[in-house]
Amino acid sequence: MKADYAIETAALEKIYRSRFRGREVTAVSNLTLRVPPGVKFGLLGPNGAGKTTFVKMLLSAVNPTSGAAAIFGRDTRDPEARRPVGYLPENHRFPTYLTGSGLLEFYAALSGLEEPRRRKRSAELLDLVGLKDWGDVRIKKYSKGMLQRLGLAQALMHKPRLLVLDEPTDGVDPVGRRDIRQILNHLTDTGVTVFINSHLLSEVESFCEYVAILNKGRLALEGKISSLVAGRGYRIAAYALPPEAFDEIRHTGASILPGVNTVEFQVSSREAANEVIDRIRASGGLIESVAASSSSLEDVFIKTTSSERAA
Amino acid sequence: MSAPLTHSRSRVFAALISDTFQEARARWLFWGLFGLSSLLIAIFLFVLRIDIVQGAVSFMGIEATARPIYNIRKFVNVSYSWVSIVLYIWGTFLAVFASAGLIPSVLEAGRISLLLSKPLTRTTLLMGRYAGNLAVVALNHIYLICSIWIIIGLKTGIWEPRFLLAIPISLFIFAVLLCVVVLIGVLSESAALSVMVAVALMLISTILAQRDVVVKLLDSQWSRDLWLAFYWIIPKIYDFGVAMKDIILYNRGTDWLTPAWTSALFGITVLSGAIYIFKRRDF
Repeated sequence: MKADYAIETAALEKIYRSRFRGREVTAVSNLTLRVPPGVKFGLLGPNGAGKTTFVKMLLSAVNPTSGAAAIFGRDTRDPEARRPVGYLPENHRFPTYLTGSGLLEFYAALSGLEEPRRRKRSAELLDLVGLKDWGDVRIKKYSKGMLQRLGLAQALMHKPRLLVLDEPTDGVDPVGRRDIRQILNHLTDTGVTVFINSHLLSEVESFCEYVAILNKGRLALEGKISSLVAGRGYRIAAYALPPEAFDEIRHTGASILPGVNTVEFQVSSREAANEVIDRIRASGGLIESVAASSSSLEDVFIKTTSSERAA
Repeated sequence: MSAPLTHSRSRVFAALISDTFQEARARWLFWGLFGLSSLLIAIFLFVLRIDIVQGAVSFMGIEATARPIYNIRKFVNVSYSWVSIVLYIWGTFLAVFASAGLIPSVLEAGRISLLLSKPLTRTTLLMGRYAGNLAVVALNHIYLICSIWIIIGLKTGIWEPRFLLAIPISLFIFAVLLCVVVLIGVLSESAALSVMVAVALMLISTILAQRDVVVKLLDSQWSRDLWLAFYWIIPKIYDFGVAMKDIILYNRGTDWLTPAWTSALFGITVLSGAIYIFKRRDF
């Protein structure tokens, strides 16, 4: 594997085997993924899709059944591969007997940082994440949002080239989320690769440039977000539409989203939108609204995971 | 191996030991150990304040109190040897109880995944934790045994340095039992089960050590062989206690090498097994 990618996996697979019953569960299957350096990459997928297992395989908390994974070209089984990585796990459990700065210094020491640099960096980062006055306080007194910010500071202590964040804004208030986004944006400006595993589609859409969607352990979709959500169209809402008009309009290729008093039609072209409007008016219905629309990441996500489900 | 990498590894190891200390302090295990040791020291001080030396000499039949004590050294050596046994049992039990939770705690979900994401091997992580545990207990053993030695020395004016052998001997046996605690901790993540197994081993070792008597009582050869096989496999906690007492009391070379290497072999095997399982586990 080449060092051209921040993360590169080849046919990565994880099968959990029950020790006594002999049952097998495939968490990740034949996953080949490449994350270029310096980008903001989002990993999405429904619950149980294998996202966390994938991240844990990258960081050696889970041993792959087969396949290979590399970070900046170095096999992840080599501990040195993890030196340029900063990681914030989901549902982290930091030792509550440590203070904020004690925690930062401990994890930085495990990353090989010498003491004077640890002290200096811990003060800088506590300031950066808004916990400047909390460095000497034991973390059992921290709120969930504060712990999340401290976790981010922990991941940044040794100036990593790759940041792996599992649900980074979980439990953080809106202002805190904005602050975290700003910090991450600043990091990517300096060339750091940010890899986010999140279930918050809007967060991934607003922050990331690239996305991969996992479903049932397989890579269902991968690409640049701007390309994936490029499918534009029109949304027409109609009022008092007789039921017999539905079939007629469906023939135009419009997708129908029934509401309480109104019905919405989604079409992909200007011509189709005009045809739908003509048919609504011809059937005696009234136009409530007409709007240009673009498909969101949520649409892409639902389409991808539901088509996989149907298959 | 490059020098910066070696420095980095020693920093990691030092950080893991320091973290174990901090956790032991925060969980009151450190202070609990020292508190109970201090209590034992206080009891010992109190007993000696009553000035029972003369009376005890008489009681033990070494010398009548009516006459001057000429064999006070023998008495003090007997005291030293018995006190060392008490400290050996007391210290080992307490140490096992105190350390049992320190391995499972590090394996908690959300904590272990972050530790494993750092550039260190799983062996380093486990060994760092092991060394941290050992260091906590070593400090306590040094405090307890040295204090008692100083008290007896001040009281009697007889300073028997062989008594201090109780420190490395107790620590060695604890190191072997800690291997078992680590293995059970890695397998089950249960502190209670770790304690149960370690204490059971101490008791089994005592029973198996009575082999001279038991072998005569067993009627079949295979049962005698089985008994002896178990005896050689299990760490010789009882034999070590007896060897320590004999060395302190008689200053004679008892066969402590055989129990030492067989127990060490047991510990190394168990710890290697723990590392092997820890490396293969998914968290």
